[in-house]
Amino acid sequence: MKQLKHIWFIAMKDLKLFAADRMALSFAILYPFLFVVLFNFLLAGIGGEDERLELHLVTQEAEGGLSHQIIEALQTKDESQLKPGEPRIVWTKDYDEARQAVEDKELGGFLAFPADFTEGVLMGYGAQLEVIAHADAFNTRAALNGLARAIASRVGAQRVANHAIIGLLIEQGLIGQAIQQLFLGQEAIIAEEAFIGFEIEKVGKVEAENPANFVIPGYLVMFTFFTAGLSAVTIVRERQNHTLERLLAGSVRRESILGGIFTGTVAKGLIQIAIFWTAGILIFGIDLGLSPAAVIILSILMVLMSSAFGIMLATLVKTPRSASSIAVLASLVLAPLGGCWWPLFITPEWMQFIAKITPHGWANTGFNKLMVFGADFSAAVPEMLALVGFAVVFGLIAIWRFRTSAV
Amino acid sequence: MAEEFLVAQDLYKSFNEHKAVNGVSFTIYKGEIFGLLGPNGAGKTTTIRMLTTVLEPDRGHVTVGGHSIRDNADAVRSLIGVCPQELALYEDLSAIDNMVFFGRMVGLDGREARAQAMAHLELMGLVERAMGKVGKFSGGMKRRINLAIALMGHPELLFLDEPTVGIDPQSRNNIYETIEGLRDRGMTILYTTHYMEEADRLCDRIAIIDGGQIIAMDTPYQLKSRIGPLEQVTLEDVFLKLTGRRLRD
Repeated sequence: MKQLKHIWFIAMKDLKLFAADRMALSFAILYPFLFVVLFNFLLAGIGGEDERLELHLVTQEAEGGLSHQIIEALQTKDESQLKPGEPRIVWTKDYDEARQAVEDKELGGFLAFPADFTEGVLMGYGAQLEVIAHADAFNTRAALNGLARAIASRVGAQRVANHAIIGLLIEQGLIGQAIQQLFLGQEAIIAEEAFIGFEIEKVGKVEAENPANFVIPGYLVMFTFFTAGLSAVTIVRERQNHTLERLLAGSVRRESILGGIFTGTVAKGLIQIAIFWTAGILIFGIDLGLSPAAVIILSILMVLMSSAFGIMLATLVKTPRSASSIAVLASLVLAPLGGCWWPLFITPEWMQFIAKITPHGWANTGFNKLMVFGADFSAAVPEMLALVGFAVVFGLIAIWRFRTSAV
Repeated sequence: MAEEFLVAQDLYKSFNEHKAVNGVSFTIYKGEIFGLLGPNGAGKTTTIRMLTTVLEPDRGHVTVGGHSIRDNADAVRSLIGVCPQELALYEDLSAIDNMVFFGRMVGLDGREARAQAMAHLELMGLVERAMGKVGKFSGGMKRRINLAIALMGHPELLFLDEPTVGIDPQSRNNIYETIEGLRDRGMTILYTTHYMEEADRLCDRIAIIDGGQIIAMDTPYQLKSRIGPLEQVTLEDVFLKLTGRRLRD
């Protein structure tokens, strides 16, 4: 009972010191939120946000040409009428300006009708559509190619049908050679009626992924570990100014000191995750998935593991400076490797493999499974066990060092 | 015959190959102020760390109030108070918070810890600064808080390891008066210092330690009279004669 009281008093004292230390509070709570806000914004595209594609069409023909009619028919007149996923079609008047815009990367690409488009179609020798797209603009290029193919195939089909009808009429003597020329001249009018439709088939509903669902867990993992790592500095400082020794001489057992420090560090971590999840839900609208309990347990295990790491670090170093250097270095190396800065599921396989050697990687994989891919509790059990494993290893080293020489 | 309160017998402690304490034996009687003097690296602090149960001796035996530090460390700890050489304080906490925290750690309940804290702060002339952050205190004030914390729980034996180092004469005088007051109330004190006039004023008996061994132990009067007429000899003369003038690390 006495030892439990000691653990409690030490933990409370550490929390009081934490609350009094503005710098520590900033590192633990304010900075993570600045990062979350920033990266929430930067990573907004990941996960399939439904951005509307803009396709530009240009013609080099003189006014009155067939291409003018095609573009006129295709261009978007009222964007509010577009269905989700439908591209906006823009008529760009100047070919050279459009080309320059592509070169300057202001425009992804455009589809150009040649100056002899109408003549080529009517005279039967064909016309060459031109797709000009920036090398990086994969989506725009693909869409423009599709559009060009659709135009070519519809115009071609219309032309074959017209010729077949005219040929049949001539063969049956219903019209003469002179009239044939007239019909050919009217082909544009026939074509205009059925002209070109552009259809987009949308399969399923595209739902934008809320980036906070992977940004917040990532930074929670990083900063929980970072804060616990930095608590090593406080512990080493206490060792240096002999407050730990004073406690030891004042009928407090080593186990109680260790337990108190651990409890205090865990309490700080729990405050951090409570703030993180509350703000995440209320401000960023995150979804804890099918099993919020699993998310909470995973968070708590992350805190326990990080606290064990912090105390282990404190027992291994001699000065506050080395404690802080190692804590910062470990946090900054393990965070990107473990998928705190970007979601692991977008990284190559070898990076996902490397992530497995870090506790961060296991924690983030667990959070991603639960919050992004809709997994249930059982799916995150391996990640939970891995974190327990890391915590046990760190904790055993800390206990061994603390018993022998740490105070 | 005075009652023996602390008995140290044949204490040894080595760090790697270095013998920090090499067969130290002495007795402190109840109610006396016992001075442990020595140059830097003589073994004073290592001896105190063993006596306060922080370090385990390689060899030797210590009893405090009849309890062995090996077999009944908890009972020993309940009898002692320690004022370390370093300012073992939480600078981001207030004076009262520091004192109450250490008071709770020696087993006082909240009310008693607060009452003792205020009484000791008054003794040290710091009651007006009770709510002030220790980090903003002067060196002398910190030293006084450091001593006041050691008094929490009313220990029977107080270890004072250089409690007046680096402070102004006013604070030093306050600490002297406090220590004399504690002795008058029957507290037993082990005192280390580098200031010889301080040891001469406060200590009933003095042990001089060098090279991990006690090289002299007696009252200040007897130590001084060993080397010359009392009116011409200071304790510093005795100290220098016994430990030599060679500079220490």
